Amino acid sequence: MINLTDIEVKFGDFTALEDINIHVKEGQFYTFLGPSGCGKTTTLRTITGFITPVKGRVVVKGKDITDTPVEKRNIGMVFQNYALFPTMSVYENIAFGLRVNKVEKGELDRRVHEMAAKVELSETQLARKVAELSGGQQQRVAIARALVNNPAIICLDEPLSNLDAKLRVQLRGELKEMQKNFGITTVYVTHDQEEALTLSDCIAVFNNGRIEQIGTPNEIYNHSKTEFVCNFIGDINKLQPALLRELSAQTGAAFAPDKASYLRLERVHVNMPATEGFARFPAVITNREYYGLYIKYTLSLCGQTIRAIEKNDGTKYFKAGEQVTASIRPDDLMVY
Amino acid sequence: MTANAPRKKIRLTPGGIALFIFFTWFILACLILPNLNLLKTVFFADGAFSVEPIMKLLKSKRAMKALGNSFILGPTLSITVGFVGISLVLLTEYFDIKGAKILRLGYMTTLIYGGITLVSGYKFIYGNGGFLTKALLQVFPNMNPSWFTGYWAVLFVMTFSCTSNHMIFLRNAMRAVDFQTVEAARNMGAGQFYILRRVVLPVLKPSLFAVTILTFITGLSAMSAPLLVGGTEFQTINPMIKTFADTTSSKDLAALLSLVLGLATMLLLFVMTQIEKRGHYMSVSKVKTKIIKQKISNPVVNVIAHIYAYVLFVIYVVPVVLIVLFSFTDSKAIGTRTLTLSAFTLDNYKYLLQSVSNFRPFLVSICYSALAAVIVGAIVVIACRYIQKHRNRLTSSVLEYSLMIPWLLPTTMIALGLMMAFNVRRIYMFYQVLTGTMIILLICYVIIKLPFTMRMTKAAFFSLDDALEDAAKNLGASGLYTFRRVIFPVILPTVMAIAALNFNGLLSDYDASAFLYHPLNPTLGVQIKSLTNDMNNPNGMALTFIYAVLMMIISTVVLYLVYGRGDSKFKE
Repeated sequence: MINLTDIEVKFGDFTALEDINIHVKEGQFYTFLGPSGCGKTTTLRTITGFITPVKGRVVVKGKDITDTPVEKRNIGMVFQNYALFPTMSVYENIAFGLRVNKVEKGELDRRVHEMAAKVELSETQLARKVAELSGGQQQRVAIARALVNNPAIICLDEPLSNLDAKLRVQLRGELKEMQKNFGITTVYVTHDQEEALTLSDCIAVFNNGRIEQIGTPNEIYNHSKTEFVCNFIGDINKLQPALLRELSAQTGAAFAPDKASYLRLERVHVNMPATEGFARFPAVITNREYYGLYIKYTLSLCGQTIRAIEKNDGTKYFKAGEQVTASIRPDDLMVY
Repeated sequence: MTANAPRKKIRLTPGGIALFIFFTWFILACLILPNLNLLKTVFFADGAFSVEPIMKLLKSKRAMKALGNSFILGPTLSITVGFVGISLVLLTEYFDIKGAKILRLGYMTTLIYGGITLVSGYKFIYGNGGFLTKALLQVFPNMNPSWFTGYWAVLFVMTFSCTSNHMIFLRNAMRAVDFQTVEAARNMGAGQFYILRRVVLPVLKPSLFAVTILTFITGLSAMSAPLLVGGTEFQTINPMIKTFADTTSSKDLAALLSLVLGLATMLLLFVMTQIEKRGHYMSVSKVKTKIIKQKISNPVVNVIAHIYAYVLFVIYVVPVVLIVLFSFTDSKAIGTRTLTLSAFTLDNYKYLLQSVSNFRPFLVSICYSALAAVIVGAIVVIACRYIQKHRNRLTSSVLEYSLMIPWLLPTTMIALGLMMAFNVRRIYMFYQVLTGTMIILLICYVIIKLPFTMRMTKAAFFSLDDALEDAAKNLGASGLYTFRRVIFPVILPTVMAIAALNFNGLLSDYDASAFLYHPLNPTLGVQIKSLTNDMNNPNGMALTFIYAVLMMIISTVVLYLVYGRGDSKFKE
């Protein structure tokens, strides 16, 4: 569906993107994830045509569109700020693309209403000014506006980043639901790892203008290919040589103490009954953070601190200073 | 503060009582009674109501012609200034025009010189014996050397001198456009001019309406341009008021004309407030993206746009450049309008500094402007502090609206009102006749600068964080102490900036001083006007140019201090 091959983008002397190769399949929800300034938005804008790469090709449905101007690409886009036209009503915002393409009046009206219904905007909302809508409604207008021209692809540039936490979670759900219903190929840019993990079929993790890893959410999270990825996604413990040596001694695994080794918080188990394949360490609880859904413990073991989380299911509850055992399975380590 | 919040009790202190008495007197004696007196002069001249002045006005051909001319100039000026003003903003802020930074500086020259100075600069180029006229006469020997006079001349001069509002307000509106909307429109397939028409210009519409009405008012109350280049056939209301006011028998006509002008201004401002109430388009974006200049895709249009931009630039810049150059030449060069290297000299500047009588008007205007700026600043800061502290009180509203009265009235009407009110002993001016004294012009300057100062200062006060004051009180500070040590230092930069802008505006004033100047101490505006009357006196012209150059330097410094520095509160 979308093929980016060897894309390189420069802003003056600064190389913003280098060696970008991405393949998005039809109907996929594809996410570009990374910290700010990593090149994810630049890549998106290369697809939509706002940026022309100095090297590489952009191919959509087998057609090379690298040099096609923005207005000829018919790739829908939802902007970070939605970029709704403040002087027009909701109806006019949605109708804009149709008017540009000189769609006949009756047809235009039908399609605006059809699209409004799909994103659940009511008749009265259509007549309103965009400034009168809530954040969630504005997002739906932006999506409707981007979809009304029947684009084959829709690109979303951090559409949830300006919203408050609760609305983000709610709209995230709506967004995924809509994408499923429309079945449209979606390219999504975010710096929020939780958003990326919950929404995506496939994730490309960006760093410093390059791609670190491409994979499913599970691959990215549990089998992070690079040290950057495993640090960027989720909370993680870095294991010190002393602990690695002890782990090797107990389990017979051969961990090199000088290699960067990481372990996710939920893979450290507090006071778990002895189990095959797990190493056990005496530890002391030094701190406890209560989150409701789970509890985060800080443990001291083998001369280092390790954090662990336990589901708040009422069976275990440890106090600071308490002596416990921590169980770790060698297979759960990510070593670089 | 919510509506239900308990009202603060006003404690009666000696200072408070003194301020109350001062403001009551000031509002009545300076803002209300002189204007009522003006009404009385017109309609109750002999103690009984009479419409005779109206009849007299209707019969006066000159007056009616002037009225008609003003109402032709107002609308046509709105159109021409609108066209040029929008062009300037698009050329410097929206389209990718090579050399836009230089162009912008050129287009902004109207911010550093205006009024009588600017018109005399234009007259020097286009007028009889002018720079361009001489050149044209060599090509067309039979043309009328006084071609630059009348309606078209006034319209031309004012079209290029009244774009300051566009360069400030419309430019700011353009810079506030959310660039993502432009990208979104492109993304949906819209072309360049479609986007301009449907997405960008609609956002500018409210600002455009406002500046258009301000231009309309400027056209109605034109003074310098018709006086200097209008000739006999194109005089407008304000110069006519001045003429009538100079003769005792027609003072009532002057007053009536100023009332007509005042009424028209009020009506237009009412329309403007109604439009403003409908509100500006608020971008729904939380974070706006800055405009990226649009390259005009059609090459032919692109070339035409560049040519147009540079022609405008030449029109704006040539008068300034010539004024500066000729201020350094001898009288022969000025008299013949020829620039040769040997003609350059510093004698004019020496001449100015050596002769007190030449330097005096400059000094007079500086003193007046500085004093007025400080006084108006002090009055308004005190008033705003009261209004801020007692938001829901009737006295606050009365105070605020009273100080805004001069906003509704043209300068000439205020000046005339003062002149006619205080030419006799009045109880509310402590039995002092002010007409013909130095102080009456100062009072007028303070009055005309009240509304602008009020608007800006109030905005500064209301953008203060209430928590600051609460924190100071919480630490035990008294109201006055809090004001002196906490509030005032925070708003001081804004107050200084407003004072600087007021100073700038008053320095080259002609409209008010034409009525109220002291014969022995004419202001700069009056002096320039009298020098410009005789364009063929090279020494006089040299002096005008030096005044102009000095004013430009002062204005540039002031504008730099207010807008130019990074920490400026006036940026956007």
